[in-house]
Amino acid sequence: MTMRTPLLPALAAVAVLGALPVLLPAGLLNASIQALIAALFACAYSLLAGRAGMLSFGHAAYFGVGAFATVHAMNALGGTGLLPTPLMPLVGALGGLGFGLIAGWFATQRSGTAFAMITLAIAELLHALAPQLKGWFGGESGISTMRMPAWCLSFGSTTQVYYLTLAWVLVSLALLYFHTRTPLGRLTLALRENEHRLRFLGYDVHGLGVSAFAVSSMFSGIAGGLQVLGNESANYVVFDAGVSATVVLNSYIGGVGSFLGPALGAALMSFFGYAVSDTTPSWLLYQGVLFVLVMMFMPEGLTGLVTATLRLLGRHGVMAVLPLALSAVVAGLLLAGGSVFLVEMLQRLCSQDYRSLARMSGTAPPVQLFGRAWSAAAVGTWIVPAGLLAAGALMAGVVQRCRRGLALAASPEVPERAAALSERALP
Amino acid sequence: MDWIIFSLLNGVIHGLLLFMVSAGLTLIFGMMGVLNFAHASFYMLGAYFAYTMQGIVGFAPAVVLATLLAGAVGAVVERWFLRRVHRYGHAHELLLTFGLSFIIAETIKLFFGNYPVDYRIPPALDTAAFVIGSQQYPVYRLLMGGVALAMFAAIYLLLTRTRVGIVVRSAIYKPRMVEALGHNVQLVFMGVFGVGAALAGLAGAIAGAFYTTNPNMALEVGVMVFVVVVVGGLGSLGGAMLASLLIGVLTSLAVGVDRSLADALALVGAGEWARSAGGLLTLKLSSLAASLPFALMLLVLLLRPSGLMGEKA
Repeated sequence: MTMRTPLLPALAAVAVLGALPVLLPAGLLNASIQALIAALFACAYSLLAGRAGMLSFGHAAYFGVGAFATVHAMNALGGTGLLPTPLMPLVGALGGLGFGLIAGWFATQRSGTAFAMITLAIAELLHALAPQLKGWFGGESGISTMRMPAWCLSFGSTTQVYYLTLAWVLVSLALLYFHTRTPLGRLTLALRENEHRLRFLGYDVHGLGVSAFAVSSMFSGIAGGLQVLGNESANYVVFDAGVSATVVLNSYIGGVGSFLGPALGAALMSFFGYAVSDTTPSWLLYQGVLFVLVMMFMPEGLTGLVTATLRLLGRHGVMAVLPLALSAVVAGLLLAGGSVFLVEMLQRLCSQDYRSLARMSGTAPPVQLFGRAWSAAAVGTWIVPAGLLAAGALMAGVVQRCRRGLALAASPEVPERAAALSERALP
Repeated sequence: MDWIIFSLLNGVIHGLLLFMVSAGLTLIFGMMGVLNFAHASFYMLGAYFAYTMQGIVGFAPAVVLATLLAGAVGAVVERWFLRRVHRYGHAHELLLTFGLSFIIAETIKLFFGNYPVDYRIPPALDTAAFVIGSQQYPVYRLLMGGVALAMFAAIYLLLTRTRVGIVVRSAIYKPRMVEALGHNVQLVFMGVFGVGAALAGLAGAIAGAFYTTNPNMALEVGVMVFVVVVVGGLGSLGGAMLASLLIGVLTSLAVGVDRSLADALALVGAGEWARSAGGLLTLKLSSLAASLPFALMLLVLLLRPSGLMGEKA
């Protein structure tokens, strides 16, 4: 967490992001806008969940309040006056901050599980109320608006919206990073580590909690405002529990322990969703499985995996680690291939179309999968995923033993025994 | 007057049903300190298991089998998932169960599709118990209430009158001490988790036939069950009973009230102003019924943070 972000890679990343409209087709550019918004939302969320150690299950509320504040401001001001279109997310920030202060004051009275439940209750309260309050949230159909031209820009093309979103996300991420460097940011970290001690040292613990909560909701509000700018509409669906769930999954898959981890996780999962959601209806299942796997085997998230690999590289050198890493990747691919085959096969077999087809013909017709027709009744069909899974599991076991052997071989205390062990472990 | 009696009865029975799901959740929390996000998923699993087996073995055996299967899934979750991440802390366990609830819901969608399935109560039970005014009261509702009450009595007796109950209760308060005295606390944890899941599965198998069985039922009930457990006090069985009944009756009565705050203000002569102000003031209480439990929960958390009958804060 205290690792200094090198300036050069950061600049290179910004340059790549800036060049994306030239490189990508329009559809992917729209997905990039969503990915940027998801990344900002995840970073704002993990300020609270990761740094302050307060698990919120209702962050959709602040995202949604930001979105609706922006949509109302856009309709009221019409892009003229004090706030032209590009500055509209400021209203979202204000909305998120205001609601975050109120909700945070309530929620941070308690900590741990009760805190999580209060945030959930606030979000669900809003979700239940929103469709009833037609004047504020536009009922079931929502509220639509228009991006008015400002600063000699029409904001009609996706490219302009992309650059606007990118600018806002970069500025917000910079501010969030700056927050971690301030004394307030350090105290937020201390709040997670030892609340009692902090109180003992004379700090206002409740006030600190509220501040972390409010800053987090403010940036969530900006993300909500950016989404409204992109979609030109807002609907009470933004308060849905699914929105809160997605940001939790994204952040923890990326790894809340590092600053950019959640952003990378969110961007990765957004693109994953964009690429996969058209081809399979069960992509939420893959997302859930990925999340559970990360929780069980990589508690530090995907960034934790990267740091662990880098640490291994630094300790043992490229030659020792490379075969291990490659076999780990192959094992992962085999396991993933087997599971995906199984899930897709089952999904097709259980679909309504297939069932009625089978009922009409009286037999089990073949299933189209990966450009080939598979017979559902044949043993050969099911040997494929079973074989893939078995091979993957075997390889994962070998990798695990080799890694343990490597760690033992490197520890200087017991060289002979370790060498013997690692020899035995290597096939 | 009729509707008050009906609403009260419906509310009490809905509350008893909520209690069936929340009993396991509150026991598990009291013991392991884990708020199990996947708990309502066991409720859904129970309904789907019973639906699948109803056609093969008939209704009553299907309910029993579904209960056992849900319990088995619960035990597996505790043994092979939760225990693995126990060393990373409570937040991690909460997140893991959150992910598991996600997976269970998506797996259900994979097998049964993202729409309600045709799970109905058997025709033999689809009769009226009694008639008040012009309305009939279905016998199945009384059956649901009866099962919940029998379950409450069984758990209560098990916990207070048997040796197993003594070990379980002491494991809730001082797990390390119980372990030092030679009891297998890990096994107790797995057992309580399994029994809690089985109770939720039973509730699902019974209620799924009466209400709708769809992949969203876990989320709908789950959120309400959390409210029950927090309002009643985390870890308190009696509190869960009280809170379930309170919430059941409250929502059931509110649905029938067609008045708004503006009508109340009209009594003191401020009705016109309230109607012109609009917003929350003119919303009918019946349309607010869904949000009342959450408001109640926030209120309880502010006034009595450990819940109505909770001891552990």
